[in-house]
Amino acid sequence: MTNFLGPLTFLLLFTAGLFCPGQSAAEAKYQRSEVSISVPDVVLINQDNEKIPLRSLLQTEESVVIDFVYASCTTICPILSAGYANLQGKLGPENHNILLVSITIDPENDTPAVMKKHLERYQARPGWIFLTGSRADINTVMAAFDAYFPNKMSHQPLNFIRTTEKGKWIRINGMIGGNDLLNEIKKARMQ
Amino acid sequence: MKTMREERKNGMRRWALLVMLLLSFLATGAIAAQAEPELATAERLRLGQRMYQEGILPSGEPMQAYVNGDVPVQGTSFTCVSCHLHSGIGSFEANIAASPVNGRILFQPRKPYIKGFEYVPAYHKYASHFPERPAYTDDTLAELITAGIDPTGRSVVKVMPRYDINDDDIAILIDYLKSLSDQLSPGVSDTEIKFATVIAGEVPEASVEAMITPLQFHISRKNSLALAYKNHPRMARMAYNMIGPEIAGKTFTLSRWLLKGAPDTWRAQLEEYYRAEPVFALLGGITDGDWEPVHRFCEDNRIPDLFPIVDYPVISSSDWYTLYFSRGIRQEGEAGARYLHSMYELFAGQPLVQITRDSRRGHALADGFHESWGNTGHPAVIDIILKEGEPLTPEQLQQIISEHKPAVLVIWDDEALLAAMDGLTVSKDSPKFILASGTYMGEGLWKIPEQLRDMLFVTYPYRLPQDEVRFDPTIKSVLQGKPLDTTDPRIIRQACIIGEVLDDALVKMRGEFYRDYFFDTIGMMADASFPLYERLSFGHGQRYASKGCYIVQLGKGVKPQLERLSEWVTH
Repeated sequence: MTNFLGPLTFLLLFTAGLFCPGQSAAEAKYQRSEVSISVPDVVLINQDNEKIPLRSLLQTEESVVIDFVYASCTTICPILSAGYANLQGKLGPENHNILLVSITIDPENDTPAVMKKHLERYQARPGWIFLTGSRADINTVMAAFDAYFPNKMSHQPLNFIRTTEKGKWIRINGMIGGNDLLNEIKKARMQ
Repeated sequence: MKTMREERKNGMRRWALLVMLLLSFLATGAIAAQAEPELATAERLRLGQRMYQEGILPSGEPMQAYVNGDVPVQGTSFTCVSCHLHSGIGSFEANIAASPVNGRILFQPRKPYIKGFEYVPAYHKYASHFPERPAYTDDTLAELITAGIDPTGRSVVKVMPRYDINDDDIAILIDYLKSLSDQLSPGVSDTEIKFATVIAGEVPEASVEAMITPLQFHISRKNSLALAYKNHPRMARMAYNMIGPEIAGKTFTLSRWLLKGAPDTWRAQLEEYYRAEPVFALLGGITDGDWEPVHRFCEDNRIPDLFPIVDYPVISSSDWYTLYFSRGIRQEGEAGARYLHSMYELFAGQPLVQITRDSRRGHALADGFHESWGNTGHPAVIDIILKEGEPLTPEQLQQIISEHKPAVLVIWDDEALLAAMDGLTVSKDSPKFILASGTYMGEGLWKIPEQLRDMLFVTYPYRLPQDEVRFDPTIKSVLQGKPLDTTDPRIIRQACIIGEVLDDALVKMRGEFYRDYFFDTIGMMADASFPLYERLSFGHGQRYASKGCYIVQLGKGVKPQLERLSEWVTH
């Protein structure tokens, strides 16, 4: 057996990170829940390389919707971003009552230039911003929203809609259609 | 849908007519005409590739689609390649599986297992994500693309876009899918996978050995496993279960491609090496000069190169076939600018002077700094170029400070900058920050005089040495008795990473040994901590794995350590 210790070590190392494909790709209905969130007092960077105090940003009179995405994602982030683009399209150019905030979970790669390109790709209009920051600050934000994923490859499709009640948010887990998202935003305005 | 089907049938009839006309034309024996079908095929594949990768129709218009039920998207922002990747083998991410769309798999029935791998747990788990279905035909595939209906009549997941494409364009896209990943890449046989590493120019032998030793260790270890797989039933069973028969039984080879003479002759040498021995991929590679000829060779021949060890990688946002450790030395300039931006309030409106040695290192750092600083919108820096070979003197430095009164001084020079700084005194005109490059300073980093240590901020693109020692046992096991300090420790560590990432990727490829899938697979890997780097991060199209850099100062005392002033990544 000693002779095979080398290959055995190889085998163990070789498979140390063996992939776990995750859940079935079966059709997913979104899950809705009400959650309390204390927005952390961190300063993030937007697509124009401007410093954005997150807490101040979210203390707007507008409705606020947040998702966690990254620019090079190959699965759910393009769909989440397409959803925001579609929402802006439904609202029309005059509607400035909804602030869409995408926060990267890949701050190493998502520099302001990368984020700007991502927004351009989805023909984002004013009212949709993309934020990055230090890894520590991004982790803090993800943890505050109970959306912390140590591995960006295993993140989930999450949207958070701020309600009128202080600190209360609607957490949407799953792929939500355009009409459903708009309805959820309208409902959150009533809460 | 009935109308669409009729239209499709009409389309098929049109194609049949076209094919008949073409055949009759060829039958006339016109030699010139014989080239036209091939050109047409090539053009169709080009157009199909553009649809797949860019979401552009043959007409030049963007493809239109719906996802998630009612969300309209343009193909340009939601391309096939986004999910099914360059190879078409598909992706796994965030609990969502995008199925393979290469013709070889589409036009075969799908079972809840992969033939030949029925009892390999990882393969079985993978296969179980996709429902059984009969083989696609052109018609049913068109139905899937336009209506999201698979051959069993089921509606596939809503996140798969439903494309609004006419029959002719669908036929072009299907032709492309048929050509996608249809034959295993060169360098792969039933029994082995061939690799090569490029040594370009006059690289010191110690540096070459520092790269080759860990690479060869990985190759030899793999070949030992292949031998055991053949000769030892218990090992064979374990290997079958853990990594699958496709990879367990194969041996690896590693050739050295030595490039001599002027860099403009390297391309021809590479072509000759490749003609003699087509390899699946290049592993690492090292040069004392410019990597561009090798990069371009890989790009033109679609050969992946995993982590060449170079100071000056080719910077591109679109090139595909070379994955670098980082953006090289210029990344320190970029990080320095971002760090200063993060504390701009402390010196807003005051001058920033950048002193750059007229050397390749100096210019790489200055270019990186300019690019990042330019993105901040802050006022431009004042640039001063130092002639190569003429050391910066204390008088020169004092004169620059007196003249410009900079709040920030950036000096891209080697350790000679320490002598120039030696006479600096703290006064109201003194810069608040002086920034230099750890890589450019080299060993000079450890010679910073005590009185300058609070003043000098240094970029450092690796894990700090005091934290790195925990990887020494791993590195020593790779060196197998060779002393750690006789070769370049950074190159050894980088070569170890190449071996680890290679192993991981090849297992995850599940026998789909297509070059494009090699980098697709690495792009799906989780961010990870490795020797030398706090974090290497991957992603679709990401080609510079380490994006990080510390800003450090040398601590106090006779045996000082580097002290972190910033996080690994600064924005």
